[in-house]
Amino acid sequence: MKKKFTLALAGNPNCGKTTIFNNLTGARQKVGNWPGVTVEKKEGILKHKDYELKIVDLPGTYSLTPFSIEEITARDFIINETPDIVVNIIDASNLERSLFLAIQILELGRPAIFVLNMADVAQAKGIKIDEKKLSQLLGLPVVFTVGNKNKGIENLVEAAVQEIHQFESGKKSRDIRYSLEIENCIVKIESCITESQIQIDGMPRWNAIKILEDDKIVKQKLMDQNSQIAQHVFQEAKLCRERIHTLFEDDFEIVLTDDRYGVIAGIIKEIVSNLARKRIDMSRNIDLVLTDRFFGIPVFVFFIWAMFQLTFSLGEYPMGWIESGVSFLSTSLDNILPASLLKDLLLDGVIAGIGSVVIFLPNILILFFCIALFEDTGYMARTAFLMDRVMHASGLHGKSFIPMLMGFGCNVPAIMATRTLESPQDRILTILMTPFMSCSARLPVYIVLAGSFFGNQAGTVIFSLYLTGIIVAILSGRLLRNLLFKGAEAPFIMELPPYRMPMLKSLLIHMWDRSKMFLKKMGGVILAGSVIIWCLSSFPRNISYSQDYSLKMASVKSDYELKIAGTDQKTAQKLNTELALILGDIENKKEQERVSKSYIGRIGKFLEPVFSPVGIGWRAGVALVTGLVAKEVVVSTMGVLYGVGNSGGQALERALKKSGMTKLSALSMMVFVLLYMPCFATIAMIYKETSAKWAGFSLIYTTSVAWGGAFLVYQTGKIFGLG
Amino acid sequence: MTDTHEQEKKQFKRLFAQQGVDQFDMRLMVLDAFLKLEHHVTIQEIMEQLAQDGNQLSEEFVLNSMELLCRFGFANKNEFDVNKTQYEHRHLGLHHDHMVCTKCGTILEFKDEAIEKQQLKVADAYGFHMLQHKMEIYGICSACMEDRRVLVPLHKARPGEKLIVKDFSAGQNMQSRVSSMGLRIGDTIEVVSSGFGGQVVIAAGENRLVLGKGMAEKISVQPLDPVSILTLEKDQDVEETVDVPIPLKHMKKGQEGIIRKVSGEGVFRRRLLEMGINRGSKIYVEKYAPLKDPIELVIKGFHISLRVEEAANILVENVKYKKR
Repeated sequence: MKKKFTLALAGNPNCGKTTIFNNLTGARQKVGNWPGVTVEKKEGILKHKDYELKIVDLPGTYSLTPFSIEEITARDFIINETPDIVVNIIDASNLERSLFLAIQILELGRPAIFVLNMADVAQAKGIKIDEKKLSQLLGLPVVFTVGNKNKGIENLVEAAVQEIHQFESGKKSRDIRYSLEIENCIVKIESCITESQIQIDGMPRWNAIKILEDDKIVKQKLMDQNSQIAQHVFQEAKLCRERIHTLFEDDFEIVLTDDRYGVIAGIIKEIVSNLARKRIDMSRNIDLVLTDRFFGIPVFVFFIWAMFQLTFSLGEYPMGWIESGVSFLSTSLDNILPASLLKDLLLDGVIAGIGSVVIFLPNILILFFCIALFEDTGYMARTAFLMDRVMHASGLHGKSFIPMLMGFGCNVPAIMATRTLESPQDRILTILMTPFMSCSARLPVYIVLAGSFFGNQAGTVIFSLYLTGIIVAILSGRLLRNLLFKGAEAPFIMELPPYRMPMLKSLLIHMWDRSKMFLKKMGGVILAGSVIIWCLSSFPRNISYSQDYSLKMASVKSDYELKIAGTDQKTAQKLNTELALILGDIENKKEQERVSKSYIGRIGKFLEPVFSPVGIGWRAGVALVTGLVAKEVVVSTMGVLYGVGNSGGQALERALKKSGMTKLSALSMMVFVLLYMPCFATIAMIYKETSAKWAGFSLIYTTSVAWGGAFLVYQTGKIFGLG
Repeated sequence: MTDTHEQEKKQFKRLFAQQGVDQFDMRLMVLDAFLKLEHHVTIQEIMEQLAQDGNQLSEEFVLNSMELLCRFGFANKNEFDVNKTQYEHRHLGLHHDHMVCTKCGTILEFKDEAIEKQQLKVADAYGFHMLQHKMEIYGICSACMEDRRVLVPLHKARPGEKLIVKDFSAGQNMQSRVSSMGLRIGDTIEVVSSGFGGQVVIAAGENRLVLGKGMAEKISVQPLDPVSILTLEKDQDVEETVDVPIPLKHMKKGQEGIIRKVSGEGVFRRRLLEMGINRGSKIYVEKYAPLKDPIELVIKGFHISLRVEEAANILVENVKYKKR
């Protein structure tokens, strides 16, 4: 029988942990700790000799102090789920800071091994590390690896398995000793805990340290066990803290941090010898341009421009193919299947709904490829560095820039990208602001409306709309920051990792992983939404039409047949086309009346009083409601409601103008489309990433802002006589 | 200028009347004479001006009046050590510093924002609340300097002046004597003192040398202008070291220092410490972002960025420029 063990990979962000995880399990995932990287743990199975090893990739953290979601996740996993061994990946070229986490992991008292990764980089830097000595000092095995060249992975696994057996046969990890005063405090609290015979997760010594550090989570755990003893321990800890404070004039945790770095400095002195002089630092040289005072921002703007150019220009071709593919599918099904309600559902609900999502796949793939490229090279951190000042002005963090930017492509991945903002407040705020970034699905609506009513100025109008979105987002940010999140903003402490050469394979896998997530999560929601909207617009079935369209069509048909019969071939052809046009027109009229009498039409009419102050008629109102499925659906619904079917384009333009829509009401409608509630998919995403409360808030907030904005535009316009 | 002078006089009348100062008219005459001169003046010069205007007042009275003018903020008293006490018209709200030529006694007024700021900074770093300051630079004015551009004999150099030895215009005998003392052509020397019967004491490196008048006359030296001193020192990588701890946010691109103290709110501070920004660590300012915020720092061999306002919480000492 195979033995099963669990290995947890822990380490700093950017230490190459995920690469090692990929090497171990074969499944490749994200490198780095930036927007878009998930916080969830990732697992994989590795077969090694007689063992089945479950590998869990923990999020990258700098310490085990529970500040951010990542740190809490990592810590909880190690403590609560007790993996058989913790594999701590250490960036060998960045030993001092990496050891800070290593010492804390050691303190947990769990079986662990240390992996000095990027040994090649360290060597190139002229750093020589005596791993035997390190192993001796820490009392745990140390192995070298080069993650991206798949070196040393075998050793890692073997050492891990050996170490698990060592601990099974009674090995205890070594304690790190601190300075006398600190040590006295730790021993005191530790004995308090052991005397009380209480079992908390983890080693008593670790718990003692955490209680002394005033760690809320550990304190709560003790409290839950036995509040009386907890009070006693806390009292003792308080005395100790006070004592340290009078001695060192600083908090216990600060003194301990200093002490830890002291211990690390000692270890480093023992094990590291610098061989050669530093060679040229490529990363710094790249940064001489990319974050330069003068070039930094232009280059950044260029990259962003290139990204969008790629996403939307290059994406256009496959989009066209998909579009024709979907329409081919639906026409062939149309011809094959007999007319039925089910067929309508399949064609107009399911296929149309899924088609509207799949069509974005090329865009999403390219966008995610670019984002993965930014992340894997290390440029993403620079964008936050460059843009923090701007984002800070609206109460946000530099890291919020990327999600907001992605919002221009699609709000769904943008909201996914907010995950690694450290402070939950920043995350929620960014999520609430993102829907104001005009996503690509809103563009078709602008194109139709601005194209129809503003002619040559259409470009300017559309640009102003994008700008309005940004301004509203900034204002909202400030407003919400002041009203809802009064607390201090999260500090901007961010590592700028060295630039690294991305691996194409990993880029492709990142891209696909995320796009898959997009398709999976969104497919379901959009499908459901499309079906609902289809139902609303298809029922009730028994509509009493104002006139008998089929009778009319039949009479027109017979009229023409008579005419055609009496003429030569040429005239007959002409008359035939005429007939087709008239029949199509009647068909459209019928459809128009049907939709207006369907549930959705009723909803539109019901909502008319709401929309009339902003100059939006009931038809456009219905279109807006259907736009919840996906914003571009607004255009096709308008096509149906204005009686031009799906022919769109100029026919729709004429119909819109004929319906009495003015420049002003078109503008008002565009503003509404820009700002009103995001599509189902986005709302679903907000709900998944935050809570029902915030999803609801976003829904109400954006829609009120949209109504207010449109009202302002329409009424001001009317005052100036533009209506 | 006359406009402000008229206003000053009106104010003067009002203030002195309020305060019930005696001999009002005569004091007004002193003010008149003082304002007419409008530069740094001694009591004697005021007396002369008064005499020209046909007013004879006692020195004691003029002195007393000038003290009053100082008290009410119409004049500033300066005691530059080369001259006697001098007074200058005090323009309210306009602060300036002085440069005093030790050769001809010329007084130049100047104002430099960077210096003003630096003073506030230094005071701030010491937790000192600065109210006002006085700054005087002693040296040789450009006109005097111009006269000495060319080689001058050493005995004419002023104390404190930095010079380069250019030539020994003496016989073989003396040259070898000077050389044996450790002074060679091309050496940079500083005049410690001069006078005392033409005797000159100079510092050449670590050595102090005393040269008689005869010898000093024969050594041609060229003054080293302060700008070249600066560049000279930069080359040797010993640029100005500020020993006063300063907040990190005042550090410039390319400066390195040692962290003295990390203050700030609990969680934030702890975060900084855990990222390796702790007491005693070396910290290097790599650059500021193009929009001047945040800062990129190098610490423990990795790059990290912080907002400027957050960087205010970190106190750094031993700040100096460092090539990387």
